[in-house]
Amino acid sequence: MTRLSGGLIDRSRTLSFTFDGKRYHGHPGDTLASALLANGLRLMGRSFKYHRPRGVLCAGSEEPNALVELRSGARQEPNTRATTVELFDGLEARSQNRWPSLGFDALAVNDLLAPFFTAGFYYKTFMWPKGFWEKLYEPAIRKAAGLGSLSMRPDPDAYERGYLHCDLLVIGAGAAGLAAALTAVRSGARVILTDEDFRPGGRLLSETETLDGARASDWISALKAELESLPNIRVMQRTTVFGVYDHGIYGAVERVSDHLAEPGHRVRQTLWRITAKRAVLAAGATERPIAFADNDRPGIMLAGAMRAYANRWAASPSETIAVFTNNDDGHRTARDLAAKGVHVAAVIDPRPEARACADYRLIAGGIVTGARGRLGLTAIQVQANGKSEWIDCGAMGVSGGWNPNVHLFSHHRGRPVWNDALQAFLPGEGGPSGLLPAGAAAGCFSTAAALRSGAETARSALQEIGIAARLPNLPCADEEGYTIAPTFYVPGKKRAWVDFQNDVTVKDIKLAHAENMRPVEHLKRYTTLGMATDQGKTANVTGLAVMAELDKRSIPETGTTIFRPPFTPVALSVLGGGDTGLHFRPRRLTPTHYWAEGQGAVFVEVGQWIRAQYYPRVGETHWRQSVDREARAVRRGVGLCDVTSLGKIDVQGAHAGEFLNRLYSNMMATLKIGRVRYGLMLREDGFAYDDGTCARLGEDHYVVTTTTANAGLVYRNMEFARQCLWPELDVQLISTTDAWAQIAAAGPKSRALLDRIVDGFDLSNEVFPFMACAALTVCGGLRARLFRISFSGELAYEIAVPARYGHALMERLMELGADLGATPYGTEALGVLRIEKGHAAGAELNGQTTAAMIGLGSMVSQKKDSVGAVMSRRDGLASDKRRLVGLQPLDPAGKVVSGSHLFALDAPRSLDTDQGWITSACYSPHVGSMIGLGFLENGDERLGEVIVAANPLEGESAHLRVVPAHFVDPGGARLRE
Amino acid sequence: MSELRPITALGAVLPRFGSFGALEIRENAAMALASLALRFGTVEPMPFGLILPGPGRWVAGQGVAALWTGPGQWMIEAECCIELDFAAELKQAAPRCSVTEQTDGWVAFEIISRAGAIPLEALLSKLVNIDPADFGPGRATRTGLQHMSCFVVRRGDTHVVVLGARSSAGSLWDALETAAKRLEEKVT
Repeated sequence: MTRLSGGLIDRSRTLSFTFDGKRYHGHPGDTLASALLANGLRLMGRSFKYHRPRGVLCAGSEEPNALVELRSGARQEPNTRATTVELFDGLEARSQNRWPSLGFDALAVNDLLAPFFTAGFYYKTFMWPKGFWEKLYEPAIRKAAGLGSLSMRPDPDAYERGYLHCDLLVIGAGAAGLAAALTAVRSGARVILTDEDFRPGGRLLSETETLDGARASDWISALKAELESLPNIRVMQRTTVFGVYDHGIYGAVERVSDHLAEPGHRVRQTLWRITAKRAVLAAGATERPIAFADNDRPGIMLAGAMRAYANRWAASPSETIAVFTNNDDGHRTARDLAAKGVHVAAVIDPRPEARACADYRLIAGGIVTGARGRLGLTAIQVQANGKSEWIDCGAMGVSGGWNPNVHLFSHHRGRPVWNDALQAFLPGEGGPSGLLPAGAAAGCFSTAAALRSGAETARSALQEIGIAARLPNLPCADEEGYTIAPTFYVPGKKRAWVDFQNDVTVKDIKLAHAENMRPVEHLKRYTTLGMATDQGKTANVTGLAVMAELDKRSIPETGTTIFRPPFTPVALSVLGGGDTGLHFRPRRLTPTHYWAEGQGAVFVEVGQWIRAQYYPRVGETHWRQSVDREARAVRRGVGLCDVTSLGKIDVQGAHAGEFLNRLYSNMMATLKIGRVRYGLMLREDGFAYDDGTCARLGEDHYVVTTTTANAGLVYRNMEFARQCLWPELDVQLISTTDAWAQIAAAGPKSRALLDRIVDGFDLSNEVFPFMACAALTVCGGLRARLFRISFSGELAYEIAVPARYGHALMERLMELGADLGATPYGTEALGVLRIEKGHAAGAELNGQTTAAMIGLGSMVSQKKDSVGAVMSRRDGLASDKRRLVGLQPLDPAGKVVSGSHLFALDAPRSLDTDQGWITSACYSPHVGSMIGLGFLENGDERLGEVIVAANPLEGESAHLRVVPAHFVDPGGARLRE
Repeated sequence: MSELRPITALGAVLPRFGSFGALEIRENAAMALASLALRFGTVEPMPFGLILPGPGRWVAGQGVAALWTGPGQWMIEAECCIELDFAAELKQAAPRCSVTEQTDGWVAFEIISRAGAIPLEALLSKLVNIDPADFGPGRATRTGLQHMSCFVVRRGDTHVVVLGARSSAGSLWDALETAAKRLEEKVT
């Protein structure tokens, strides 16, 4: 065991967990990584490419090595950073990317083959034979690649989204963030303080320094209590701000119950959209390693992380450690671990002038040139003053300096600037508006400077939005300076790792340089540096520095690091916000939905609408039986169909008629009150896009109907026309789609049925002819609207009542129509009926067809202008000679397949000879065979001709006869009956 | 009065009610609605004595209320006259305006907190992108709620109504109920 004294863990409770099936114990306050270290484990994973044994490198979310599969079953989650997993009782974790075990991994043979796996090896190696790429190389590489594995089962957990608003968002609850929050909250501003950790304090939790002479954790606790007592701040632990978006919007994920064994009924994570007038970026800094030969041995970690494990989590990776640092901060690790009783074998500092800050062996002017211990560090090789020696140790802390966490600042292409004194990039110009960096993220590395920076930045931010804030009394804190010498890597022949997660070494960068992949963008893509899930947080600056040295240029001349959202990986589940299954999108139910459910209807999604597709009856074993029966019932008796989903738009105003004249291609202003007209709308480019009816209810009152699919689009276009194109017209619009339940009653007995519900209204042909409409009452005083329109080609009506009565009306119509053969029919029969009648629908109005193509060319009035009219006459459209025709198989048992392309008999089948395609097809009970509608070159002149419909997808073709598109009642007598 | 019996937007005889900790959500099936839009050259009317509100606002009178829905456009609501032809009444009150029946176009869910504004605002934060600091009593807005376009009206400090399309009443209720239930489940 390597558990030390002290720390911020609750030793009064013990938690049990397993790693690779073996049971271990830890305490509340531990992370999985700290608990593993405390249990004496240094080996936690295998590297991506070479399968090198790896231990933990960091103590935070930047971790590239210690990635595990967490949990089991459907909750199994790969690539989880052990450094951010809060320990809970019963936690299960497994190492990944190894077989058969973490200690012995057969694919570690890759390490021996490393000379073949250099940067760019994919591009160079898998060139030939060409056919092998898809069949052999890619499958083999995909199998070998990747880290953890998915459960391949649906995610069982719930996710949600939320919205927050504040004056000041403080990102990070370390010294600077806490000081910023304190300053802001006391000013009365509305504050949100977020931190990805599960307790506030940031780096203060990992240090031994005092604030006002007391432990930093005491100050944090007192401050936390104050903040929690105030109503104007929301403190959000376990919350990562992952991206900055336009207009002061920040994306954040709160891990609501990730720290629990199971979320139960709670959500697992919440996706927050935070709108902040200003934000303080107090995200701290990330330490970077120094690359040297075999610097990835388990036990070699960042010096700051080693100190954090010792001070916060009371865990040390070994009883004997060493430190390799090019800056003063690394010495603190030696000091603190020595104070905890850990033996410090040596501190190696390349700076000849380096001074020890405690009682340990300092090798000033030295460098580490190698490391031993495949599964765990046993010794390091040190070179100093021309001599080389091996020093035994089980762990080593490495510090190559600290990189301010400028990630969020980069999200609007803010360019960081190089600071020579700190040897790091700092936030520069052009970052997101309203985002102000503070503390270590702004290069203020001492605690005192970070506290001051946080408070002052918050005050400035608030001042910008007119809130006066006073600087609080900040605790007396460490002002210790930070000096650093630029040592990024130790030259040598062996591999030295820069990007641990993607196995990118100094050699790879040298190769990229030799092969002229020198711009940072090329370096990144050629070597995969910084492209792993950690986005190269510990690697990018080192990679740049190596390239800069090879190129004999400065680091800023070589390039900068730019980061994109998300700051840390975000699960797609939470981005979806829980919109899965039935909640994938809103469901719109028709007024007769529950009635249809009671009839055993089968439903179909039509956009958001859920419509009855057909109503199977006992004994019907195939959908066609139901649909044929429903279609026949309409032709012989009366059928009832809920058509509420068709869009209804109420149009009023003094210029309503003129407005509609300009929208519809045909004349509308001449429509008489109490009449309905079929109407066609064109797009601006002249193509047809929607058809429907327009009913005139009063002098200045019309109701427009649209197709279900285009209801929203037509309404939007009408609003655009009203507000932007013709604001001079006095027109008012509002959707009434949901307000009225509309039921189609179609068939020769429809009049007889409606006669039984209308309150003394004369439905005779003379009084209420085809294309008439009226407001009336039904069923004893219920307000209704009646339209005599037909989609089926039969005598038909559509009756509309307030939506709440739709269910009861359908029941009543079915009851009263029992002797007339009243039959409910769904969208399938609706489709059959309209194909039989040759009515165009979505399959014909697909955005590529003109009015002339669907046989409605004459509806584009020459007497007036309307949207798309002029463009419809342009050569490209007017010369299109394809026309809507009916198609019938020569053999009554033959198939008609929609999507098939049409060719002249005996013509070769190619794009050049393609003469059109079949848009809709169905079995027609009326005709007794399959029938189809399609667009055929000069189709209106080819009636009777036999053509070929080719369906190359299925390897089929059929001989079809070209017939008129109206299979039923071509003269339209039934409609007018 | 028709012999037909209506059903609610959620397909029941009686309006739905749910209680979730400090919050209750009640389907209001007794509210009549009609839209009112100014025609060119008309003076803004005062239907039923209401002074029509400006953008983002809602005002209530005696049994009636008005919600701004767009330039020169309002939704007028009335209690307890759902079986009357409210649009016709409104047209009489504002004869030079365009009036359209909207009662059945919408479902209304009244959300009431029994423990002050905090639970109500916590619920709203999971549903709509509205800043509660700028959404006091009398404020109203049209906004997206789980991909549905809704009107959200702050009737009082502890009372909000959400108006959504009647056809998506079930999805809207699910969204409200799910968010309200989750507020009850505190994570420790």
